[in-house]
Amino acid sequence: MVALARKTLIYEWRKFLPAALAVAFSGLLLLMMTALMFGIFSSAGVYVSRSGGDIWAGYPGTQTVELGRPVPRDTEMWLRMDPAVVQVEPFQWLDGDWRGPAERGSVSVFVSGIDPNPNGLMFSHVLGPADRARLDEPDAVIVDEADLPKLGLDIGDTAFLNGHRVKIVAAANGLRTLGGVNIVTSIATARTLVSDAAERDKVAYYIARLAPGANPDAVRDRLAPIAAGHRFAVWTHDEFAYNAATYWMFETGAGLGFIFLSFVVFLVGVVITSQTLFAAVASSVREYAMLNALGAGIGALRRVILEQAFWVGTVGVIVGSVVSISLALLAHGQDVPISFNYIATIACGALVMAIALISGFLAVGAINHLEPANLLR
Amino acid sequence: MTALVADQITKSYTSGRVETPVLQGMSIALDERELALVLGPSGSGKSTLLAILSGLLKPDTGNVSALGEDLWKKSRADLEKFRLEHTGFVFQGFNLFPALTALEQVMLPLDYLGLPKHAVRNMALASLEEVGLASRAHLRPIELSGGEKQRIAIARALAKKPQFLFADEPTSALDSVNGKNVIDALHRVARVYGATVVCVSHDTRLAADADRIIHMTDGRILSDVKQISASAPSRSISAEANP
Repeated sequence: MVALARKTLIYEWRKFLPAALAVAFSGLLLLMMTALMFGIFSSAGVYVSRSGGDIWAGYPGTQTVELGRPVPRDTEMWLRMDPAVVQVEPFQWLDGDWRGPAERGSVSVFVSGIDPNPNGLMFSHVLGPADRARLDEPDAVIVDEADLPKLGLDIGDTAFLNGHRVKIVAAANGLRTLGGVNIVTSIATARTLVSDAAERDKVAYYIARLAPGANPDAVRDRLAPIAAGHRFAVWTHDEFAYNAATYWMFETGAGLGFIFLSFVVFLVGVVITSQTLFAAVASSVREYAMLNALGAGIGALRRVILEQAFWVGTVGVIVGSVVSISLALLAHGQDVPISFNYIATIACGALVMAIALISGFLAVGAINHLEPANLLR
Repeated sequence: MTALVADQITKSYTSGRVETPVLQGMSIALDERELALVLGPSGSGKSTLLAILSGLLKPDTGNVSALGEDLWKKSRADLEKFRLEHTGFVFQGFNLFPALTALEQVMLPLDYLGLPKHAVRNMALASLEEVGLASRAHLRPIELSGGEKQRIAIARALAKKPQFLFADEPTSALDSVNGKNVIDALHRVARVYGATVVCVSHDTRLAADADRIIHMTDGRILSDVKQISASAPSRSISAEANP
């Protein structure tokens, strides 16, 4: 078979380039929106994803870390009683009011009180032993590097947190959360920041590490009935991170907005791609009419156009991927919160191919009313 | 032997509320091994006649029978199949795919016959040989002259050795030498393959080589003359004008 579709694409690439670019940029837009979406919402799960530990215990029904409430003090004991648990540490989470330089006014912040022990679990992926040791100093806090300009302060500066003087002893990378500045301090310092004296020695979460080889799901199932009777709940690490991401995505309406926007991008992609592909096909309509006169069936000619659409889609996906990777690298260097997820990336690729193929079906319209008799006039 | 018969065909075009009759009850019978030249001024209906005879355009009334089959009783797919198996076309515009080489242009329609690849290639090469362009087989349309392009179009039309070859103004874009080459090729198709060749033109230079000359005007046949040798008309078989 003479490879009419491919040979025409290669020889007349200028005609098909706009369609391939329309596919590529639809793909780029879809992928970047997805990456940004996951980037932003994975920062909602920073507390969980950047920390060690296998089991989280918190107030029953807690969807995301920011919604935590104090749990009973005996929670720690119930966790320790499980044979698979080898380490338990408290994690205090509270709202704070930050007053730095006078011209900045007050900033609403989130305070994370963590165990500064070198083998502590909370933020273990972000804070090394040296940083944690600095938190042993009373009233010491660590913030994300990207938040320093927002606070108008530098390392070594002091500010008032809930009316209490604190000092920034270090800055780290990866503490940014959705919705506010994350101030990390030791659990001891955090206690001094709690205004209600009765709640001062209660924390919102306990994190447990399991013995190597223990199955977190089994431990959670074992602890669940105990937790139900003692006003706390347990989740596995992955479960709690997933809950946080889905809470922000779907409970806040942001996810629906994202899906709607993806649909718009898809629609725009189909309209532009099909129009450019239609024009490319229509410019060869006399040749197609000639082939039809010579007996090539309309179905065979449609297949040629669909094959062209497939190749346009393939080229579009490749170009889109190259541009996406370049932009992702650029964004990464600028602290833009983007994150790629395999399934979402594959879904974007599939959507982009769908754009190309639907456009192909629409472009087939260019030869639907092929009249070879018109060649005789 | 009669290969193609049109019986009382009429055709009119409607533009807005105005209906223009183009063919007004025309009948004609064409033999195999015959190169019939249809001459007439523009608007005389000769291209419409060609479209109806070749199975590209449905007449308003009347029948067309080719190889004993009634063309306009067939479905679109069956008609395409009939054209694929039996019919070749040469149009005024060459309608070659810019991306394909001369050889590929000729191979392309053969592919749809479902023949093995090597057979397709051999038939296409033989056909290019026939029009004297075997040496240009690897060139694309942009690298060929107008005359060469038309010969490629002829090679494409006759590669499958069709029983019918329809040509519409095949020489209009060509100089006299290339025009002569083209008409010689059409003539050979009739003689060598025994095909029925119908050529529509207003180029009277072609008359000397035709077996039969049909003059048309206003959708009717003005004269229909058969010539025995390729130079002088021998006898007039009819000069009828259909009502």
